[in-house]
Amino acid sequence: MQYRDIRQPNYRHVGKYSPRKEAREIVTGKALFLDDFSLPHILYGRTKRSPYAHARIVKIDTSAAESLEGVRAVITHENAPFLAGLGWPVHRRVLESKAFHVGDQVAIVAAETLEIADEAVDLIKVEYEPLPAVFTAVDALKEGAPQLYERFPGNQVDPGCPYFQPDGPFWQVNKGDPDKAIAEADFVAEDEISFSKMPCPAAPETPSVIARYDGNEHYTMWASSQSSHIMKLLMQAYVPGSIIDVNTFNVGGSYGNKQTMLNAAVSAAMLANVTKRPVKIVLTKAEQLMTYEVRLGSTVKAKMAANKDGVVTAVKGDWLVDVGCVCNSTQGQIGVGLGEAQLVLAKCQNWFLDSHIAVTNRQQAGIVRGYGGQELNSCLEKLLCAIMREGNFNPLSVFKNNYVSHGDKYLWRDGRTYKSRSSFFFPDVMQETADRFGWSEKWKGWFKPTSVNGVKARGVGMGVIGNCDIQEDNTEAIVRIIPDLNLSNLGGGGSTVIVECDITESGMGQRSNACKVVAEVFNCPYEWVSITDPGSRNNPSNFGLCGSRGTITTGKAVTEAALDAKKKAMELAAIKLDRPVDQLDMRDMVIYVRDTPELSIPISRLADKELSIVGYGKHVEKFDCPSCMVVFIEVEVDLETGHTEVVQLAGGTDIGQIIDSKTLEMQLHGGIGSACLDTAIFEDCNLDPSTGRLLASSMIDYKWRTFNEIPPYTGFVMESQIDTFMFKALGIGEVSGAALASAALMAISNAIGADVKEYPATPAVVLKAMGKA
Amino acid sequence: MDTASTVCPETSKLVTKDSVTLTINGRRFKFSVGDGTGDISPSETLTETLRKRLQMTGSKESCGAGACGCCAVIVNGDAIAACMTLTVELDGNNITTIEGLEDARKGLDPIQQAFIDEYAFQCGYCTPGIIMVAKALFMKKAHPAPDEIKEALAGNYCRCISHYTVLRALNKLAGNNNAELSTIVKASDLVQEPIPIAQELYPSPYASGHVCKHSLD
Repeated sequence: MQYRDIRQPNYRHVGKYSPRKEAREIVTGKALFLDDFSLPHILYGRTKRSPYAHARIVKIDTSAAESLEGVRAVITHENAPFLAGLGWPVHRRVLESKAFHVGDQVAIVAAETLEIADEAVDLIKVEYEPLPAVFTAVDALKEGAPQLYERFPGNQVDPGCPYFQPDGPFWQVNKGDPDKAIAEADFVAEDEISFSKMPCPAAPETPSVIARYDGNEHYTMWASSQSSHIMKLLMQAYVPGSIIDVNTFNVGGSYGNKQTMLNAAVSAAMLANVTKRPVKIVLTKAEQLMTYEVRLGSTVKAKMAANKDGVVTAVKGDWLVDVGCVCNSTQGQIGVGLGEAQLVLAKCQNWFLDSHIAVTNRQQAGIVRGYGGQELNSCLEKLLCAIMREGNFNPLSVFKNNYVSHGDKYLWRDGRTYKSRSSFFFPDVMQETADRFGWSEKWKGWFKPTSVNGVKARGVGMGVIGNCDIQEDNTEAIVRIIPDLNLSNLGGGGSTVIVECDITESGMGQRSNACKVVAEVFNCPYEWVSITDPGSRNNPSNFGLCGSRGTITTGKAVTEAALDAKKKAMELAAIKLDRPVDQLDMRDMVIYVRDTPELSIPISRLADKELSIVGYGKHVEKFDCPSCMVVFIEVEVDLETGHTEVVQLAGGTDIGQIIDSKTLEMQLHGGIGSACLDTAIFEDCNLDPSTGRLLASSMIDYKWRTFNEIPPYTGFVMESQIDTFMFKALGIGEVSGAALASAALMAISNAIGADVKEYPATPAVVLKAMGKA
Repeated sequence: MDTASTVCPETSKLVTKDSVTLTINGRRFKFSVGDGTGDISPSETLTETLRKRLQMTGSKESCGAGACGCCAVIVNGDAIAACMTLTVELDGNNITTIEGLEDARKGLDPIQQAFIDEYAFQCGYCTPGIIMVAKALFMKKAHPAPDEIKEALAGNYCRCISHYTVLRALNKLAGNNNAELSTIVKASDLVQEPIPIAQELYPSPYASGHVCKHSLD
């Protein structure tokens, strides 16, 4: 089958650009974010933090803080209103008699103003007994290493996450006979690669919450969380006996990183419980950078083997993950990372890829765009590069031959085996994108620069990754056609549509897309469809916009709900028009007889007066439609200074069907930000080796890509109508930049003619690889 | 009572103020300086005055260090970081915030409209700051060159990557052709004689099924 044989539908809205519903609010500054919102009688919370990476708290004296005018509560591990656990499996408490990283919570304060809260924090006197600390996963697992938690002997976290893995823990890919395959292989590579600087996704809006205690263990939260549902789930698990309702606003960037915000959320709940007043906690930028969740640290020690065609035949090794001082369902990320590795190397039948998770005295690591996939890929692709170099293969052909095809099998995060029902055209996408990037002209071979001009050498690299989480987690939606008679004056049928769906907007445009696909089902203007405010109480269940799941899961739930409502409307109209349903059609909230359009009835006259026509839809989790994202990068390296500039980028995908053209373009661009591309170039997060304190504590210290460093981007998008839901689309944002880090290292290695194996390739790393430092 | 002391640039003498007058979006505000309830303290930043005192929450406080541009407002024609500016230092100054750009009669500022037309934001948190910095640039120069636009925005942090569409919107306003940094090629556009079809009335059983039967275990 050729791509041109795919029938392309001709939609009224889908595939075109529709301005975001909240566009006008955003450009006028009226869009509401958490810290723009307040409640009457509110208090402000602040946190006293440990200066030690690992210490026992000998004594806390809060008397001076408590007697400061305007202070309403000071809470430590000694007087917490309830015991709140942390992590999966629970291994510590939010407030402890120990500190486990520099910046760990020691005490929390609520006061009438932020200034008073800050002063109170300074007045808390803490006596510590410093303990030996450990800062890398490799060191943490060594015999005799300092022990963090009783729950994790040897600092090793239990595998498996029951929520994601109902059949039992899944932490390794184990099939075939890797030893035999390695012995028989034409090419074998063995190495240990680290991607363990644990960079910060650094959303512009810091994690922030408001908690109100409503009595009877009922709390209402307002949060800068990208998922009210996930926050509710986790908080209810950790605040004993509680019922939690979560409301969200526009979220100022998250990248998967601002979901549960448990430390701040539980702290606010404790302070609200004690003071009986709402408490707002907004993390400072320094707190976000130094104490909040960062990318997982990863070290892969493995062997990889391939046959003479460059098809990988065996992977054997271990993936060691550093979660910092709290492991909060990282086991789910392990499952997804292992799954994504199998998509990239889908023809490989011999695996023993094990994984281990270690706790260390670093700030907590957790979810960041890529969800385990980027971390593992950044290591495994270096091994693949070694094989390709040994066999002198062109990476483009290797990725095309190894990536998952329709019908290939793989294990996903639940440990179950799935068979791809996805695109037939991923190799075509890779080739077409390569052509637009100019790969065949720029690729000169391994460790060979594309061009050298004086001290400036250019090189190219590429990477491929994909994801099945785009169908993750169950979700439901309600669509109501409501009578709104003003519209009858506008040529419509006197009805508008409300989509009840709990999704929070953190930049992906999915709230608007949900309205858009419903407008397509009803064949009515996009402006007539609106969506309810996000919140866990007032909406049907939705896991939120993570893992690029919004397109398929929310898309499916809302289109099915719309189809259900449409069916009911059609059946009512059939009675009124005295025609069978299959002779009817619908446009602009008027139902008419297809062959006799003048015979029609507005939907507003179908239901009983003032009542709605209501439809229900849902999506049930499955993992059989992997996405594919191919990226290309050209860099220019200064051979004297080791400085790297990105010259151009290209990305390609088969998206199935574009829902919104500009939204998709932005999702492709998004892979450059949020600790993706630049984890290979300059996002270097170093600890002071003597104290374990992160050196970058402000946006002046933390390196980020500016407007004048943005390289040209070429995107290639195929729409092969993949059978996912009514509009046959896939999601892509989660992985749009997940392979960029490994691609960048490939490009830099080719530019300088030497292997760069260290992330990020800062000037010092590049010069070291060249033997100049 | 605390008062604000600043050095007069002309006489180099210490000047003590007990009030501050600002004109914000055309409206005059007079605040007393001190430590009484409702007074502006000498350490209050413009961000605090705008966001907490006046409920003008359009500009954001993100980094608190003058590094990210989320708090940018225009003071006497220049974009400044409001989080690094003391309100008492702005006595007598004219301030424009994102809330002041839209004209009640004429509608949105052309930059605001261009940001909607080109979808020049993702999460939108950094957008008011970007728009204010761009506005200050366009006030000085109606047709800035592409590099001048990038340079002006070099202090604006955006982690979602709205850079391409922001530059597209501003280059269009500035009349810069051939400044496009992002190109998206659709495979469908390359197909000769495409076959448009109406949407399928009934989705496939896979697309509408609710039971996950695809696990092969």
